[in-house]
Amino acid sequence: MSIYKSAIEKPITTTLIFVAIIIIGLFCLSKLPIDNFPEMDPPYVSIMTSYAGANASEIETNVTKILENGLNSVDGLKDITSSSKDYISLITMEFEWGYDMDEAVNDIRSAIDMVYDNLPDGVSRPLIFKFNTSSFPIIQYAITADESYPGLKKILEDNVTNVLNRIDGIGNLALSGEPQRYVYIDLDPQQLEAYGLSVEVVGQAVSANNLNLASGSVKMGREQYQLRVQSEYIESNEMEDIVIATTQQGKQVHIRDIAEVRDTIKDVTLDEKVNGRDGVRLIVMKQSGANTVQVCEDVQKEMKKIQKTLPPDIKIETIYDSSTDIKNAISGLGESIGYALLFVILVVLFFLGRWRATVIISLTIPISLIVAFIYLKMADSSLNIISLCSLSIAIGMVVDDAIVVLENITKHIERGSNPHEAAIYATNEVWVSVIATTLVIVAVFVPLTMLGGQAGIMFKELGWIVTIVCCTSTVAAISLIPMLCSKLLKAKPVHVDENGKLVEGNAKKNWYERTVVVWLDKLDIFYANALRWCLNHKGATIGVLLGVLALSIVPIATKAIGSDFMAQQDNGRMTVTIELQRGTRIEETMKFAREVEKEIQVSSPEIQLISTSAGSNDDANISSLFGSTNNNKMQMTIRCPKKYERERTIWEIAESVRGVLNKRPEIVSYTVSTASGMGGGASNTVDLEIYGYDFDQTNILAADLKRKFQALPGARDVDIDREKDRSELQIVFDKEKLARHGLATSTVAMYIRNRVNGFTAGYLKEDGEEYDIIVRLQEKYRDSMTDILDMSITDAMGKSVKIGELAEVQEYWAPPEIKRKSRQRYVTIKVTPEGTSMGEMAEAMQKVVDETDIPMGIHTAFGGSYEDQQETFGDMAVLLVLIIFLVYIVMASQFEDFRNPLIIMSSAIFALPGVIFALLITNTTLDMIGALGAILLVGIVVKNGIVLVDYINLMRERGYDLNEAIALSGASRLRPVLMTAFTTILGMVPMAISSSEGSEMWRPMGIVVIGGLTVSTIVTLIVVPVLYGLINKKNETEKLAKKRKNFIFMQLNVEDEL
Amino acid sequence: MKSVFIVFNQANTERVEFMLDELGIRGFTFFEQIQGRGSINGEPRRGTHTWPEMNSAMMCVVSDDMVDELLKNVKRLDKRNEEVGVKAFVWNIERVI
Repeated sequence: MSIYKSAIEKPITTTLIFVAIIIIGLFCLSKLPIDNFPEMDPPYVSIMTSYAGANASEIETNVTKILENGLNSVDGLKDITSSSKDYISLITMEFEWGYDMDEAVNDIRSAIDMVYDNLPDGVSRPLIFKFNTSSFPIIQYAITADESYPGLKKILEDNVTNVLNRIDGIGNLALSGEPQRYVYIDLDPQQLEAYGLSVEVVGQAVSANNLNLASGSVKMGREQYQLRVQSEYIESNEMEDIVIATTQQGKQVHIRDIAEVRDTIKDVTLDEKVNGRDGVRLIVMKQSGANTVQVCEDVQKEMKKIQKTLPPDIKIETIYDSSTDIKNAISGLGESIGYALLFVILVVLFFLGRWRATVIISLTIPISLIVAFIYLKMADSSLNIISLCSLSIAIGMVVDDAIVVLENITKHIERGSNPHEAAIYATNEVWVSVIATTLVIVAVFVPLTMLGGQAGIMFKELGWIVTIVCCTSTVAAISLIPMLCSKLLKAKPVHVDENGKLVEGNAKKNWYERTVVVWLDKLDIFYANALRWCLNHKGATIGVLLGVLALSIVPIATKAIGSDFMAQQDNGRMTVTIELQRGTRIEETMKFAREVEKEIQVSSPEIQLISTSAGSNDDANISSLFGSTNNNKMQMTIRCPKKYERERTIWEIAESVRGVLNKRPEIVSYTVSTASGMGGGASNTVDLEIYGYDFDQTNILAADLKRKFQALPGARDVDIDREKDRSELQIVFDKEKLARHGLATSTVAMYIRNRVNGFTAGYLKEDGEEYDIIVRLQEKYRDSMTDILDMSITDAMGKSVKIGELAEVQEYWAPPEIKRKSRQRYVTIKVTPEGTSMGEMAEAMQKVVDETDIPMGIHTAFGGSYEDQQETFGDMAVLLVLIIFLVYIVMASQFEDFRNPLIIMSSAIFALPGVIFALLITNTTLDMIGALGAILLVGIVVKNGIVLVDYINLMRERGYDLNEAIALSGASRLRPVLMTAFTTILGMVPMAISSSEGSEMWRPMGIVVIGGLTVSTIVTLIVVPVLYGLINKKNETEKLAKKRKNFIFMQLNVEDEL
Repeated sequence: MKSVFIVFNQANTERVEFMLDELGIRGFTFFEQIQGRGSINGEPRRGTHTWPEMNSAMMCVVSDDMVDELLKNVKRLDKRNEEVGVKAFVWNIERVI
């Protein structure tokens, strides 16, 4: 028994199956996390190796090169880049998207094992770490304080981080720029020398008096006691009274005699300010797989409670909360889907004019969409921009199958069948062709799931969702729809009157039949006439159409339409990085930052918050590797109100910030970036990579190109990523003199470190926290070259020696960092296009490069977002070919004909002018999402064509003359074609005009589909019939002649045998 | 009005249809996949392993003057290939609604 017959015979089972699907879908929906994008773990692995004492070029030759050669053979590797800095080599390996990273890490481990022995002694074990989307911060807070500032770290750790850590899904909480309590013992070297003491002796004395030691147990009578020596410092001022030595005169030397004890906060190396006030940043990260929106909401709620318990001078402000963006984007899309649903229902109602039929058809929409939630849940995905975009694409398509089935059933009922029989036989007639049209959609969308790269991860979800939704709608169309029709539709009311005549009840025409139907009938006739005219003037028609097509190529040829990887979003944030003269003291940088902040505030009063960090943590740890600031570099995060709460766009504000920065001569270079910084190919720079070994040559070329690029129209933030050579002070020892004093370089190096950086002499314990006690020279005795040479150290004989006697100090220039890509040194020039697209910018840059004389051995290539974009567009082109091929196969097998599919596919080309004009009118660039819209068009346009050609074939087989068959089928198929087109177009309108947050991303898709489909629908209705007429012209007469030629028996002479 | 009942090996289907088209005979009732056996030397058509072939039949109701023309063409078809086989029977039509 066929599916539709079973469904009709068992209405309760059918209903309940679909109810079950809805319930499961809603259950899945309630469990789905909400996120910005599908989870995509970036395929990057970093390998960090440290080699104490080596500078950048030593690291490059001895560590990075060896490791790179070993790692180059790892499977799935796409790109290998490295950065060699002082002491540290950092190699980043990029893999193909979707490659199994666990396997990659295993391969890397064994590759490292193979070359590890070739590394110099003293190199640490290479540390492998994987990147993860969950390592992106989901919320950042700026916390400012006045009088509580010195104790802020403890207050926050006790009251904030500990509390927030209890929230479900919290991954990591990090404080940045928090003040750390330190006890400094600053020594006077002259006093030291007078008493014959050294820094080390003082340090040892301090730590020797800071004890907590178990000294055995004592038995007293029946009891037994543990004995302890407890002499830990309780207050820092106790240290002042420590006796370090006793002079020969019997005088005791106390710390207070030779030093100053300061219980204070650590010297600034990292400065965090929020709107110019002292502050720290709290960065909240989530566990992977946790619901970002949920976690953010919980954190915000908890934070409100915490705020009340904190001292009143502590203020907590949100710099960045990813959940608001996500929520706004998702609710914006949700709204679009809601409107799309409404529009689709209205279109159906308009064309069918019967509310029962409309209800039946509308039912397929929620059922089909809900199945998508089940898929999302099973695929461990989330409600995100991509999945919701897919749903809104699908809305217009899911009703098509239902419409075809319902139309046929209605036709049978109109003829007088009862609904039950009509449902069975009418579905039987159309179910095969319904499945065939769905196959076309599948042929378009399944290849999307095979796309590689970052785009592939997004399109995979889209491909599956549309495929699944459309297949579900087909299943519903041949099971649920016939069942509902058999129950809900009513047979024509007829009765026999007293004369024995049949009378149709309800003969009076209702409002709909009197207006809309009349109008639609007129449209049919008009169209049939227009079509007849076109068929009689094929040459002129085709000529005009080709003219339009040619006209639409003009904007492409003249580059009036640009291309981008992904549209930039205005989410009210920008990041400003400013670099000052190399070697600027952190204090100077801070002062400068305050001034600039004020000027920016004045120039752009809409700015709500400026959070600035400058400097870096001096402890070399992993997180400092990713920090981009240092003593002469600062980073500002600027937050503006939501885009509909201000007049200027973020790009205009960014321009005015650039204006402020341009006026400051101190600035060496700066960038103002409005990218969101959260996944999804956020940055929009065109990177030109210059490969070459010789630093001087590449530096000169880069500087030359930078100057030329800056002159290009639309080029902003032109930046060379190679840092300039840095001056260093090197202490060069005379080995002979060292030997004479019985000293080793390492000992002397340690002595110098103790004097300048400090000797850690234990900890001051308070409330379970430990604070470092640092013994070192007073600052004024260690801030010049002579001071360093004047430092005294103790030699092996216990005598005091000046460093100046052992060594000399040299100033020296060295590159602070050596960057390599594909095992070659390279330097990148980054250019941010403003008011022009990446494609055009890259082309202009290429032209400049071509005109420039490039020295031998140096070559250039494009990288960055532009490379990603090129790759994606390349992949998409392959995909388009694959889709066209599959669609052709489906159609050719449906028509059993090689030529007719070509007619339909050629009509898809006419979607191009629509796409181009729509982009041109709305001044939109074509980006990844827009290109996706274009691919999608192929499916929809083709579907329209199939409906038409299928019917023309039918009419011709029924013996109609070619032109008449075409005109008739045109008139009869006009409504279904218009209906399909309108449901899809109107379904996209909310997307195209939406102005909610993140709408920049999907707007191009709406525009592309609306423009393309509008034009191509009109064109399809003309082109397909005309081309059909051209190609099939002689066919019918030829067929008959061929038959006559074959069947010669009728010419036999049989007169005599009768 | 006469009824002409044409029984033929189904391999002849297209030829029979062509013949009717050429003669301008529009009305017919077509029986597909029927079994049978000739009275004299016609091979059995049973759709079995032994006799795998099958027949079809076409019943056309035509005006009296059409019958001769139709039968003549049936004969021609038979002559074209006797082994395939076609047979026609004619009887009277009493009434038509």
